[in-house]
Amino acid sequence: MAQIVAGFGVPHTPIFPHFVKRDGPDCETGRLFAAQREQLTATRPDLIVMFDTDHLNTFFLDNLPIFAVGIDRSFKAPNDEPRDMPDYVVPSMVDVAAHVRSAVIADGFDVAMTQSYSVDHSVIVPLHFLTPNMEVPVIPFFVSGHVPPLPSAQRCHALGRAVARAIESWPAPLRVVIMGSGSFSLEVGGPRMAPGRSDGVPDPDWAMRVVKLLEEQNIERLIAESTQHQLLKAGNVGGELLNWITMLGAIDDRKPTYVAMQIQNGHAYGVWRWN
Amino acid sequence: MSIFAVNHLCRELLRDHVFRAAMKSDPAKALEPLDLTDEEKGRLLAGDVGTLYRMGVNAFLMNYLARFEVCGLNQHIYNQRMRSVKVDEIGCPVP
Repeated sequence: MAQIVAGFGVPHTPIFPHFVKRDGPDCETGRLFAAQREQLTATRPDLIVMFDTDHLNTFFLDNLPIFAVGIDRSFKAPNDEPRDMPDYVVPSMVDVAAHVRSAVIADGFDVAMTQSYSVDHSVIVPLHFLTPNMEVPVIPFFVSGHVPPLPSAQRCHALGRAVARAIESWPAPLRVVIMGSGSFSLEVGGPRMAPGRSDGVPDPDWAMRVVKLLEEQNIERLIAESTQHQLLKAGNVGGELLNWITMLGAIDDRKPTYVAMQIQNGHAYGVWRWN
Repeated sequence: MSIFAVNHLCRELLRDHVFRAAMKSDPAKALEPLDLTDEEKGRLLAGDVGTLYRMGVNAFLMNYLARFEVCGLNQHIYNQRMRSVKVDEIGCPVP
């Protein structure tokens, strides 16, 4: 039987590959991703399932699912030209992805699918740092976190639980890592940008509150406080927290091994290991 | 569907390099065949991203106008114009 062996929360800032190339692997971002990579390698994953919010690149406003899963043997990335990012072909597991979709639909979650697809920086930036040889298959699971109305935190958390049940019903012995990709407070290109920048952190107090609740393993409180109003107050991409909440549902709300914050970016690097 | 057309052309700046080049060399001509109102065309050509935001255009997508430096915009000008928009605490424009 497949088993979930770890959870990871990751940022995906598109300029990070450029910064780490420019400043070297010992810069803060390089070190934070290196620490996660060491943890990930130690879990010996056979598969990564990544909850992610597409930035209107895989999908668009003409066809925008609340939840969707990528079902194919592989996918290309990136499709949005992040600076200093190589082109990758990422292996996936088409049969497991199709199984997960069928199982969660049977479980009450009407999840769309995409085939022959590509993904943007929100998937490939963390993989660029964590699995740069692209040797671990990845199934992207898309959660709409940018365009209101957003799915509720409760619904996302329950979806995570359903995805866990689906994975654990897969008969082959796979070690599966769950990832959630995104920021807690961030405005990109909108009126709440910081002066002179293309982004900003409108609600740093909320970002710190999220980390505190994660560290206290108080996921019930985190879900209750992650209302649509609060997520939008945190910035126009503040809904990316839903990817972390979905991940937490899939790993049964465990206590983190660590959560390291980059408050200037409104995001964090989290690791949950127990196996 | 007009605001949709503005959002769509912003994304096409990223995906369609021919359109990107056309927008950089002659934006009025590049916008001509698109399904835009006269006001939308005028605001785009003026780089008036603040008004476009108030009209409902997606800010994340409009940021491509600055990234690829079309319609007289760059990151500095875009930042100033967008930050001048008054919004409530969830980012919705207010008078």
